[in-house]
Amino acid sequence: MAQRTLTLFIVTALMLGTCTYLAWGKPSSVVGLFVVSGLAVGSLYSLGGIGLVVLFRATGVLNLSNGAIGALGVMLAWQLQQWNFPQIATWVIGIATTTLLALVYGRLIAPGLAWRDPVVKAVATLGFALIVLGITAFAWEDDVRKFALPSDKISYTLLGLRITLTRLIVILAAIAIVIAVWLYLSKTRTGLNMRALADNRDISALIGIPIVKTETIAWGISGLIAGFTGLMFGDLVRLEPFVITFMVIPAISAAICGQLRNLGVVLIAGLCIGVIESMLTLHPVLKSVRPMAPFVIAIIVLMWVQRGRTNYFAGN
Amino acid sequence: MKKTTLVGLIALGSLSMIGTASANDAVCGLNNGQAASGEPIKVGAIYGNAAPGDFSAATDAANAYFKCVNENGGIHGRPIQYLVENDQWNPELAAQAAAKLVKDEAVVAMVGNSSFVEMSVNAPMYAENGIMAMASGCAVSECFESSNIVSTNQGPLASSVGAAMYAVEELGATNISCIGMAIPSVGNWSCGAVQSYMESKGLNASYVLLNPAAPDVNSALLEAIASGADSILVNLPAGLAIAFLSVAEEQDLGDAYSWTSSTPLYDASVPKTLGEYWSGKMFVSAELTTIDGAGADNQNWLRVMDAYADPADPRDTFAQAGYLSARYFVKTMNEMNPVNVDNRALVTAAIQAIKGYDSDLMCGPYYVGRADRHMPNHAGIIVEVRDEAFHVVRDCFEYEGPYFEPILDAEKTLGLR
Repeated sequence: MAQRTLTLFIVTALMLGTCTYLAWGKPSSVVGLFVVSGLAVGSLYSLGGIGLVVLFRATGVLNLSNGAIGALGVMLAWQLQQWNFPQIATWVIGIATTTLLALVYGRLIAPGLAWRDPVVKAVATLGFALIVLGITAFAWEDDVRKFALPSDKISYTLLGLRITLTRLIVILAAIAIVIAVWLYLSKTRTGLNMRALADNRDISALIGIPIVKTETIAWGISGLIAGFTGLMFGDLVRLEPFVITFMVIPAISAAICGQLRNLGVVLIAGLCIGVIESMLTLHPVLKSVRPMAPFVIAIIVLMWVQRGRTNYFAGN
Repeated sequence: MKKTTLVGLIALGSLSMIGTASANDAVCGLNNGQAASGEPIKVGAIYGNAAPGDFSAATDAANAYFKCVNENGGIHGRPIQYLVENDQWNPELAAQAAAKLVKDEAVVAMVGNSSFVEMSVNAPMYAENGIMAMASGCAVSECFESSNIVSTNQGPLASSVGAAMYAVEELGATNISCIGMAIPSVGNWSCGAVQSYMESKGLNASYVLLNPAAPDVNSALLEAIASGADSILVNLPAGLAIAFLSVAEEQDLGDAYSWTSSTPLYDASVPKTLGEYWSGKMFVSAELTTIDGAGADNQNWLRVMDAYADPADPRDTFAQAGYLSARYFVKTMNEMNPVNVDNRALVTAAIQAIKGYDSDLMCGPYYVGRADRHMPNHAGIIVEVRDEAFHVVRDCFEYEGPYFEPILDAEKTLGLR
C-alpha cells in the first residue's frame, strides 16, 4: 500500500513538474485553456487505461484490441442513427456489441492461450484488433462522418473554456469507474477471485476458484468499458476507426504508468498525459513531438518503477 | 384497360430510351461510334487507397473516359490499355508500381495519378525516364514543383490562397491562422504560401500544423486563438476538418471568426455533416466547377460517369480532375501523327506542347510547357455552406501572391497572357 501511494505521489509530482515547466511564463488564462482541453482528452486516455487494467488484473491479458472493439461499437451506433434508430437504442446496441465481442474473445480464444506468456497473450489480442479493424474498415469505407450525443449541446465554462456535458461525463465516468472497480475488486467475492486469478492462476484453479466464470465477467466489464470509451471518443475526438483503434496506445501508456495494477495512478496518468500533450503545444520546439508524449512518459515511469528489477511482463 | 397499359408501356419504354440516349450522349475522343481495335496503347496510373483515405476517384473517372474513348474510335483507331496500380500510401509500393509501369510495361504516359506518396517518391524517376504524368490529385510540393508532373487539380496551396483571398476581400480578414497538416511538403508549404500572400498585402498570418497522429485537435484550435487571428482557414482533409470544426462549435466560435477552407471540405456529404451551426459561416475554395455545374464539359463528365463508371464511383472534384486529365491526354494523342503515339519521347514532347486547352470545369486554360514547375489550375470559385448544401458565392477568380509570380511569368512566355 505504501509502495502504491509512493508511486502515485511520484507520478503526480513528475507530471505536475512537467506541466509547470511547459506553462512557465505563459499567461494563466492561456494555460488554463490548455489544461482544461488536455483534461478532456486525458480523461479518455484514463478511461481506456482503466479498461485495460481491469482485464489485466483479472486475467493477466493486456488487451490491445480494446480500441478496435470500441471503434466497431461507435461505427455501428452511428450507422443505426443513420437508419433512424432511437438514439438510446443505438448506444445500447453499440455497447452490447463491444461487450459481446470481448466475451467472444474471452470465451473462445483467450482460454487457449491461458498458460502462455503475457507477451504472447498481448500479441494475440493485437491480431484480434487487426481483424476487428479490418472488418470495420471493410464495412465503413473512408467517408465524412460525425457522431453526436445530445449532451454535446449542454455546456459549462471552466477557466475560460467551454466544456460540454459529454466531456464532463467522461471525466466523471473515469473517476466513478475507478471507484466502482476498486470497490468491486476489494469488497466482492468475484473481485477477490479476480485478484487471486491474476496473482496465480494455477493455485486459483487448485483451490476451486471458478476460472471461466471469473474471466468471463472480467472480459464483459472490459468490453463494456471499451464500448463506452469508443462512443465518447467517436463523439469528442473523431469518428474514424483507425484513429479510435490506435487510441489504445496512449491508454496503454496510462495503464503502464499504473503498473497495470494501480487504478488511481492510471486515472492520474491518463489525465496528465492529456494535459502534457496539450501543453506541449505551447512550446515552440517540443510541439512538433506531441504524439511522442505518451510513450516518453510511460518509458520514464516504467524505468523508475522497474529500477533494480528485470523483465516486466514476466514479473508477475 | 389494355390500351391504357399499352400506352403506359410505350411511355415507359420511350422514357427509358431517352435515359439511355442521354447516358450514351457522352462525347469522347474521336466520337465516331466505332470500337477501337489493334494493338493497345499502354497508359499507366498510380493512386492511393488504404487508411487514411481512398483516392481512387480520379483513376476511376479516367478509366470511365478511356472506356468511352475505346468505344468511340480510340486513339487513331487503337484502344487505350489503362494500367492502374494502388500504392496503398506505401513509398516502397509506390516506387515498385512506377517501375512496373514505366520500365516493364513501357507505358507512354501516366494519366490520372492521385497519390501524394507516389508523387514525392517518383517525381525524379519520371524525369529520368522522360515520361510525363498528367496527374489529377496532386497534394505535395514535389508534385507541383517537378518538370514531369502536371495536374488538373490545384492542391492545398492554391486552394488555400484562394480561400485566404476570399477571407480578406469579402469577409474582412486582417489576420489569418491557417490550420494545416504536419506533413512535410504539405502543411508548411501551403500555409506558408497563405502567409506570403497576407504579407504581400501588408496583413498578418500564422499557421498551426496539426499532427495527423495526434487525436487532440483542441490544442490546434487554442493555438490558433492564441495567435490573435480574426479569421481561421481550415486546410485539412475532410475528416480532420470536421473534427476541428466540431471543437470550434463546442467553443461557439462560429461567429467570433470568419471561416474558410481549402477544397477538401467541398464534399457532398459535408454540409449535412457540419449541420445547421455552420450554415452561412463556412466558405470553401473549390478547385474546379461545382459537381452539378451546368457547363457542357461538366455535363459530359457526368454522362461519361453514368455510362461507363461504376455507380458507386464517387462524383467528386477528384473524379472531375481525373476525367479532365484523361480528356486532355486523348486530345493530345489524337492530334499527334499516328505513327508516333507509341514513342514515349514524342508523346512527352506532345504533352509538354499543350497550350490553352479549355474546359468549363476549370476557370483558366490548361497548359504544360517545359518548366521545372507546373500549376496550370490557379483560379477557382468559392462556395458557401448553407442550408445543408453548397452555394456558389464567388465565380472564377485568379489567385494572387508571391508563389504564383513565376507561374504567371511562364504563362506570359507561352503567350497565354
